[in-house]
Amino acid sequence: MVEPLMDLTLAPQTTTRTLAEDDALRVERLSISFGGLRAVDDLSFAVKKKEIFGLIGPNGAGKTTVFNCITQFYRPDEGNVFFRTGKGDGVVNLVGRPVHSIIGLGLVRTFQNVEVIQELSLLENVLIGAHIDFKATIFEQAFKLPRARREERLFQKKAEEALAFLGIIDRRDLLAGGQPYGVLKKVELARTLMANPRLIILDEPAAGLNDSETHELASTIRQIRDAYDCTILLVEHDMRLVMGVCDRICAISFGKFLACDVPEGIKRNKLVQEAYLGEEEA
Amino acid sequence: MNDLSSPFTNAKPALWRNAYLRFVLFGLLIATLPLFSSLGLMKSSTLNYIGNVLVYAVAALGLNLLLGYAGLISLGTAGFMGLGSYIAAYIVKDMGMSFWAALVAAVLIPTLIGLLIGLISLRIEGIYLAIATLCVSEILLKSFEQADSITGGMQGKSVSYPVVFGHAFNRSSTYLMLVVVLTLVMMLTHSFVNGQKGRALHAMRGSEVAAQAMGVNLLQYRLIAFSLATAYSALSGVLYVFFVKFSYPSVWNMNLSLYVLAAVVIGGLRSIYGTVIGTFVVWAVPDLILKNLPVVGGINGLPYIFNGILIIVVVMFAPQGISGLWPLKKKKKRQQVPQQVPPSGKEAG
Amino acid sequence: MTMLSLTNELGTVLQLFMRSLETGSVYALAALGIIIIYRTSNIVHFAQGSLGMFNTFVVTYVFLSFRLPLWASTLCGVAAAIGLGFLVDLLIIRHTKKVSPLAKQIITLGLIMVFLGLAPMLFGVDPLSLPRFLQSGDVNFGGASISHNAILNISLGLVLMGILFYVLQKTKMGLAVRTTASNEPVARLMGVPTRRVTLAAWALAGVLGCLSGVMIAPTTTVTTSLMDAVQVNALFGCVLGGFQTFYGPVLGAYIIGVGRNFLVYYVSSIWGEQIMYLLILIFLIFRPNGLIGKKFIKKV
Repeated sequence: MVEPLMDLTLAPQTTTRTLAEDDALRVERLSISFGGLRAVDDLSFAVKKKEIFGLIGPNGAGKTTVFNCITQFYRPDEGNVFFRTGKGDGVVNLVGRPVHSIIGLGLVRTFQNVEVIQELSLLENVLIGAHIDFKATIFEQAFKLPRARREERLFQKKAEEALAFLGIIDRRDLLAGGQPYGVLKKVELARTLMANPRLIILDEPAAGLNDSETHELASTIRQIRDAYDCTILLVEHDMRLVMGVCDRICAISFGKFLACDVPEGIKRNKLVQEAYLGEEEA
Repeated sequence: MNDLSSPFTNAKPALWRNAYLRFVLFGLLIATLPLFSSLGLMKSSTLNYIGNVLVYAVAALGLNLLLGYAGLISLGTAGFMGLGSYIAAYIVKDMGMSFWAALVAAVLIPTLIGLLIGLISLRIEGIYLAIATLCVSEILLKSFEQADSITGGMQGKSVSYPVVFGHAFNRSSTYLMLVVVLTLVMMLTHSFVNGQKGRALHAMRGSEVAAQAMGVNLLQYRLIAFSLATAYSALSGVLYVFFVKFSYPSVWNMNLSLYVLAAVVIGGLRSIYGTVIGTFVVWAVPDLILKNLPVVGGINGLPYIFNGILIIVVVMFAPQGISGLWPLKKKKKRQQVPQQVPPSGKEAG
Repeated sequence: MTMLSLTNELGTVLQLFMRSLETGSVYALAALGIIIIYRTSNIVHFAQGSLGMFNTFVVTYVFLSFRLPLWASTLCGVAAAIGLGFLVDLLIIRHTKKVSPLAKQIITLGLIMVFLGLAPMLFGVDPLSLPRFLQSGDVNFGGASISHNAILNISLGLVLMGILFYVLQKTKMGLAVRTTASNEPVARLMGVPTRRVTLAAWALAGVLGCLSGVMIAPTTTVTTSLMDAVQVNALFGCVLGGFQTFYGPVLGAYIIGVGRNFLVYYVSSIWGEQIMYLLILIFLIFRPNGLIGKKFIKKV
């Protein structure tokens, strides 16, 4: 079982130190342990520009941990995460950067359990996504000086566009607390759109959604990719969504790389089947 | 500029809906209280109590920013208030400089000290701020007692009513100054919490991870909240010394910090009007009402027991405090939209 | 430097050290109460000093009004401390399971105010005084003179803490406390009577506070501000020693007791204590989790 895995992981690490021309993100030999347990083990994969890329694996495979390592909520023990920033062609290594600086590079994420602010309206929640774009100082904001007003108007308009894009503009002034789960998921999505993202990371976007909502989500994800011209990386349990929406998929198990292929290839892959079968037997 | 105006908002809201106008009305209302006093409808000492409430409300609004948004407790409120009061008194009386110089220095210096304390303690867990500020207020209190040449030691320090733009204020005009300052502070706080920085504080309180992912630097925003709380405390101390005309070390002890905390908790976290009303409840109710009750009115320590029990009851049973009883609170936002037609799905069949 | 002045100097140092051990014991007992509450109820117990102050008032009142011997009065205070500890847990803490740690901290601040009001209500506003256990008698050694009472206080502190640590580390009851401290929900699921552990913790913290109050009372008068310095120093002992172990705060409290006395004697009688607080704040920059602290990993 171990031998073939070694061969597969060897391939990506021999490539160049930075990003290939058409790559948006490359995870290179990533490892992290928690109290002796290797949650992510020497994992490498690359995501192409404007791709919808899925990361799948059985329960406890370490998918969310990989996301947390990319977005620097966790500091990986080893490995690099190369990312193509902004509109330009600058490439940076994300590892070691402060968590709050990641969004400024054009990488923005959602969370497995929706993280919206209950006491704020939907519009205000979405406006938080534009946090780093505000230039007015604390005094300008407290005294409502022209620049503060102008920015507020500008980003409010942008937030309304994002809400309209996702079809929840009629709820803009309602408090997030008490809104249905599906709406909150959309609020999180709208919030990511505020940040002019190059890459959006979605952590289980379909969790808690019903069939029709999941179906709608698939087309929304494609629309976002096309309208906002960005790359999308998603972790998902719902296989129909993953197989339906993703251009390519990377499968992992116990933090280790299994395979990276188009959906059809992943479906046929022996290792992936074994990993998922193992889960069902357990 | 027209193209920026939102296509989704309706016509201009009704005039009374304007939050700033309501603050002004609120200010006008409390500004008329001396009138009752001069007509003999209200005891003169009552006006002093109300004036004190206005002073303490400024500090309470600051602590509310810290406690309500950053979820941090400061026990240094009294210390920083005292520092502000002594600096203001020293600059006006000993250095003979203007009211404005005193105001600026007495707010800036404590804020800078607070910033330093915050930098040290906020890198660690939240509880350290409470302990560090407790310690700082001890240090300050000792210093107030010992630094005779500046603070007047145990004898305290006296000043006269302020002289602003060449006008020597009397008690009534100083009272009006308190009203104006409090109203301004309420307005500025309102703009601040509803702007980008305020939303970032909201995000930090609601979900630290979401805030970080959206680019909010947690340490920076905790520091902002703490510095604001310190600046408000210092401002409150300045107002105190010009209204009461005296500053004693014994005023600035830990119990005052606890009172301010009580005002915030009882009034309701993140509520501006709630905080002001909470301040009134904490200070004025024991002194104006409880003291005059038969039998229990004479009990020693009654104000402490009243406020202590009120804090505990509010935390346990009514976390929103008085603001939770506020009949108009954000009613507009609570209204539900008519349920949309659900997209055709399997749950229908 | 002559031989004589050197022995004098050594004597002074020794005397200072012994006196520091005495104040250190007071801080350590209070700090132990704080850390036991922190570990079992996840509350930073700001009212430890106020509860101790109130119970010391009980001791003083019983001693002065009923003319009981001091040891008997102290027993009454201990009984009151246990009763109040139970009351606080049963009436308040037990019902705050769903309340955030921040709110619990606010509750202890509310408790301070309650006891700050109850003490003058029940015992009047006049300062009272409480004598020492052993009125007279000194021991001389190495140029230092130590009162019998100081030796009693030091030994009492050490013996009490010895017993408590033995119970914590070696007995089944101690195991229950330690499992509750490390993970309350899991401990409950494993059948540990966490409710009883918490109840006992509040009673124990009350007793420790009362004893530290009785120890410190003869050096000053019994007023509502009796325990203010003890509370601050005990909390700083916890910060210095770290909140993750039971013995760290005790160690921290003794270090503060020693550091305070030496700074007051050798550096400045007015600013010594403040200098120590500043030193601790600076220490925190380099070791944020205290002397014996571990770092937590936050989960996302």
